[in-house]
Amino acid sequence: MLSHSALTPIHVVFHKLQKRLSILLAILGDWAAFIGVVLILGLGTSWYMIDVGTPLTTERQGPWVSWTSAGRADADPYTRAHFARLGTLQLTAEITLTYLAYTDDEGRRLHSSCDYAVEGSEPGTSWWSLTVFDDGGALIANPAQRYAFTSQSIGLRPDGTYLVTLARDARPGNWLPTGGAGRLALVFTTLDPTAPLLTSAADERRPLPHIRRVQCR
Amino acid sequence: MNLRDKLKHANWQLIIAAPIAAAILHICATLAAPNLTAASAYSRLAPALPVNKMQLLHAITPGAEPLPFLAPDARYAMCRFDATNGPVNVSVTLPPDQGWMLAVISQQGDNVYAAASTPDRATPISLVLMPSEDYFLGVTPEARGIARGAQPPVSIAATYGIIVVRGPSKGHAYRGEVEANLRKARCSGRTF
Repeated sequence: MLSHSALTPIHVVFHKLQKRLSILLAILGDWAAFIGVVLILGLGTSWYMIDVGTPLTTERQGPWVSWTSAGRADADPYTRAHFARLGTLQLTAEITLTYLAYTDDEGRRLHSSCDYAVEGSEPGTSWWSLTVFDDGGALIANPAQRYAFTSQSIGLRPDGTYLVTLARDARPGNWLPTGGAGRLALVFTTLDPTAPLLTSAADERRPLPHIRRVQCR
Repeated sequence: MNLRDKLKHANWQLIIAAPIAAAILHICATLAAPNLTAASAYSRLAPALPVNKMQLLHAITPGAEPLPFLAPDARYAMCRFDATNGPVNVSVTLPPDQGWMLAVISQQGDNVYAAASTPDRATPISLVLMPSEDYFLGVTPEARGIARGAQPPVSIAATYGIIVVRGPSKGHAYRGEVEANLRKARCSGRTF
């Protein structure tokens, strides 16, 4: 006696196989989409909040970004992860604030092929410094051995403002050499034990220097 | 297949599960991120620092930066402390100037204590770092009948970490003065 399957025409078997395969593919497709969405949403949002930050964790003024809970014992997990990845020694944001800029005021990437004018005014009585790095956080070697200006070493104008020129070649005044470093990062640090560093009102924000592109080669 | 049919045949269990699973992954990835880094500030600095001894670091120059984005706007004295065998005493006097700072930073990068100088007066600081699980300083001097001669040190619960004393780099003329002040900073362990 022949079995049922032996009597089934070959095209019916193929049809059944095709149907089962399509169901399997649909299930696999659903799971692939599920895993893809979970990875993109889960890891993508985590990366964004750790690397870029949000208004919940950062203070932004023009191109300057500061992590408001940096170094604090009650820092949020995003801030902890950000500085752990960066590998920097973070002093508490209760006393010192560090602002990092990778772009000029118009959002263009800072680069050693361009000259920049960094202009600002003395931020009250607090100590401050302005340092130029390459975008990996390394100092830029230069014959003048000049890497930073502080409130104690900068030359001020009579009205209390200052101008720092970032350029490859020597410039008069407060010149910070950028050599052939490629992409640049500027760090502005303020240290003030007496005044609250973070204020909620926008008009009470501490004055940060403007970064203006002068020319590019 | 129109939209209604597509919605009808959609796998709603997976659609609802996706954001929940993404949120769980987000939390896990964020919490795990500090432990997945190649080199935290502590792990980069610790091998070069003796235990419970303050060390003046060389001026920061290109190619000799101990950490990324560590500005040469200051000179640093650091001490890697380990309070497992007993409390660690720290004493520093921040001169009457701007830009001086003392920070006790835990292995995880938290500032468990920080103080900055003021231009008006010198700021003497005396700390005792205690292991977190042994946060007890014993009987006070007064209880033992000894008059307290000076301000008692501040006690902080921290077992491992780095003490950072930073003095502003004000140029070659002040270099010796800044280094001399940093060299006066002390960090030493003692037994219970």
